[in-house]
Amino acid sequence: MSAAAAAPAATGSGRELANPPADGISNLRFSNHSNNLLVSSWDKTVRLYDADANVLKGEFVHPGAVLDCCFHDDSSGFSAGADHTVRRLVFSSAKEDVLGRHDGPVRCVEYSYAAGQVITGSWDKTVKCWDPRGVSGPERYALSSVEGRVSMEFFDLSESAQSKKYGTFATGGCDGFVNVWDGINKKRLYQYSKYASSIAALSFSKDGHLLAVASSYTYEEGEKSHEPDAIFIRTVNEVEVKPKPKALAAPQ
Amino acid sequence: MSSAVKEQLQQMSTTCDSLLLELNVIWDEVGEPDTARDRMLLELEQECLEVYRRKVDLANRCRAQLRQAIAEAEAELAGICSAMGEPPIHVRQSNQKLRGLREELDAIVPYLEEMRKKKVERWDQFVDVIDQIKKVASEIRPADYVPFKVPVDQSDLSLRKLEELTKELQSLQKEKSDRLKQVMEHLNTLHSLCEVLGIDFRQTVYEVHPSLGEADGSKNLSNCTIERLASAVNGLREMKVQRMQKLQDLASSMLELWNLMDTPLEEQQMFQNVTCNIAASEHEITEPNTLSIDFLSYVESEVLRLEQLKASKMKDLVLKKKTELEEHRRRAHLIGEEGYVAEFSAEAIEAGAVDPALVLEQIEAHIATVKEEAFSRKDILEKVERWLNACEEEAWLEDYNKDDNRYNAGRGAHLTLKRAEKARILVNKLPGMVDVLTTKILAWEKEREKEFTYDGARLLSMLEEYMIVRQEKELEKKRQRDQKKIQDQIKAEQEALYGSKPSPSKPQSTKKAPRNSMGGANRRLSLGGATMQAPKTDILHSKTARAAKKTEDSGTLSPSSRGLDIAGLPIKKLSFNATTLRETETPRKPFAQIMPGNNVSSTPARPISNDTEEENKTPKTFAALNPKTPMTVTAPMQLAMTPSVANKVIATPVSLFQEKPEPPTLLEEIEYSFEERRLAVYQARLMA
Repeated sequence: MSAAAAAPAATGSGRELANPPADGISNLRFSNHSNNLLVSSWDKTVRLYDADANVLKGEFVHPGAVLDCCFHDDSSGFSAGADHTVRRLVFSSAKEDVLGRHDGPVRCVEYSYAAGQVITGSWDKTVKCWDPRGVSGPERYALSSVEGRVSMEFFDLSESAQSKKYGTFATGGCDGFVNVWDGINKKRLYQYSKYASSIAALSFSKDGHLLAVASSYTYEEGEKSHEPDAIFIRTVNEVEVKPKPKALAAPQ
Repeated sequence: MSSAVKEQLQQMSTTCDSLLLELNVIWDEVGEPDTARDRMLLELEQECLEVYRRKVDLANRCRAQLRQAIAEAEAELAGICSAMGEPPIHVRQSNQKLRGLREELDAIVPYLEEMRKKKVERWDQFVDVIDQIKKVASEIRPADYVPFKVPVDQSDLSLRKLEELTKELQSLQKEKSDRLKQVMEHLNTLHSLCEVLGIDFRQTVYEVHPSLGEADGSKNLSNCTIERLASAVNGLREMKVQRMQKLQDLASSMLELWNLMDTPLEEQQMFQNVTCNIAASEHEITEPNTLSIDFLSYVESEVLRLEQLKASKMKDLVLKKKTELEEHRRRAHLIGEEGYVAEFSAEAIEAGAVDPALVLEQIEAHIATVKEEAFSRKDILEKVERWLNACEEEAWLEDYNKDDNRYNAGRGAHLTLKRAEKARILVNKLPGMVDVLTTKILAWEKEREKEFTYDGARLLSMLEEYMIVRQEKELEKKRQRDQKKIQDQIKAEQEALYGSKPSPSKPQSTKKAPRNSMGGANRRLSLGGATMQAPKTDILHSKTARAAKKTEDSGTLSPSSRGLDIAGLPIKKLSFNATTLRETETPRKPFAQIMPGNNVSSTPARPISNDTEEENKTPKTFAALNPKTPMTVTAPMQLAMTPSVANKVIATPVSLFQEKPEPPTLLEEIEYSFEERRLAVYQARLMA
């Protein structure tokens, strides 16, 4: 329990992360190599935490709200900004540069290991692929335009995180509840106790033992006063995420 | 002759001679004549001869008697032997030593006496057997008993005969025992039947034959008796079967009545002993008095009581069923055809004019019919529900759109917005719904050859009416829109003629007031101010935009008011001038940034369609940007703008108000994500 936490850090919520962002959390991601946690926020920062040690390792400040972030490897990552930029962040040197731009706020960013490319989606209705080394502009062939939104449409549920071990996944919504689901057997496995605010983002650690929960008001009811934004690190019990197959196993 | 006799005779003759001498002496003395003498001597000789003769006769007779006796004895002996079937005894032949008849006789006599004795014994045996035969026969065949041979005589006393008779006796005895067994069986059966039927056994048995009732004593075992006994048994068995069937009928009536009237279990259990036998066969019913007259009456009276109860409940049942029928009709929206009611009136039942059971049947039949009809109507009814619900939402939406306060961000505003959004979708689907419904109704009506009514009215008529009203509304809307366009054109012309005017504040202020919760008023003014900081540009733009719009013949709202109104409102629905008669909002153009109009760009990303009048449902991406007027970034934004910003396409607030001609039926729904709205808020804050 972090003493700095303003909200009561209930035992059932997990361990509250120290030095959370000062405004809404747009996304958070665990690294694939360690329990480093990357958090993007409306307070224009991208923060890197060591979730185990509960320590803020680094922080990048952008010109505008950061709408998404992702890891490249354990030493670097990418961010998607409302200022239309896609930035590359190098943690060790605390340096950042602009990888590319869109014509509108960049809503999401993802690194594809398979393709070796950074993929971004923007409210300019385009999806672009970038060379993570920032060699040139976006690969033209990957440019695509769509009529509708690029980012996920808002649902009542805001986030999903996969538990790597079992293939079950967790969802969190504006109601403040995190649910764990078994997609194959189509069952809800578990529900954590209610968080003080909407669940803005979820992420399982690489080994599935930790679940980071961003409890952060997501503006579904417009501007209003709300609970402070916080991040909780939960230790995951197997029972919460292990699938429970139906009594009659489906034919394989 | 023996020597002694000879001697005697000689002596006698000597005596006789002496006597004669004497006689002669006497005669001489007497002087008897010779004649007299001769005569006397003759007499004497004759007399002497007769005496001899007599003696000889006697002896002869004696001899004859003996012979006869022997013959008789022999005859008797032979007779006895033959009668008794024994070999004859020949005494004489067997014994040569016998001398004289007297010895013979004496020899036979012991044999004779012994045989006589044996015969008597044998006869006794016969008599014994015969007596028994008689006795048994009389028991078993009294009337027609004709003994095949009752030897009265004793001509056949042989052992063989005795054997025969003994055999006959045995067979008679066996027959007797068989019959007795039969009788006992019958009696047992009779006894159990009497027990079950509650009839007096002794009396019954006595009537068959008195002797049968005796515990000891011989029972009459005649054919007649046995027949009578058998028929008594059959009679009672038939009675048992009849009563059993009656009881089982009563039991099933009882079960029916219990079922019909939901009789409590305790009551039913009192008659457990009746209902348990409902499927029993004749030989399974053995309890005493289960079929007695009294018991049957008892059960019968209970059934009667139940039936009376049923009759009294009939009325209630009929009413209950009637209610059920009406409920089914109501649910299937078949209310309105009340022709059937009269048949089932309670008064008619009470008055006895109608048989309640019959009425009940009729109602049941009606219920079955209604259920079948309801089933066939189910699909259509469901669609009607949805259509009605959509109409409700349509009506709500109409009211909602007339409400100026609807963008108030008070509590639950979010929910209202959601409802309105959903309502719009629903309304769009309405014509399709009506189409499908109409098709289905027509098919149904054709198949069933009658109208589809809904609570008394013809459903097709309802739908037609609805569509007519709708069309009228649409026409009215269009008319008003056209009017507004004309009015706006006039206004624009005037403005062009007379120079720009500041944006009329009045319509704005009325709108601003309710929006304080958005912090809108100040912001908006400041935004407006921000816009005004480049007034010329902006208004010029507005004008040209308006002009552009005019050429495009689109839009009826005053752009300036819209331009100011839209700023800083990161909400989904854009408000209109109250004078707007539009009932739906213009959708925000997708990807147009919700930001104050300081980023007026000139280059459209896409060519603007000039066909704004068409029912073009695709959203314009960058509405009505004036391609001719170059714009520059006027106010600083927290955006990482590169010099190539001019190539960016950012919609102006004006452009946001690019009027899109409303298709009469379908409206597009553009949603703002929470993030987009949030960003607009943040950027607005920065401007403030």
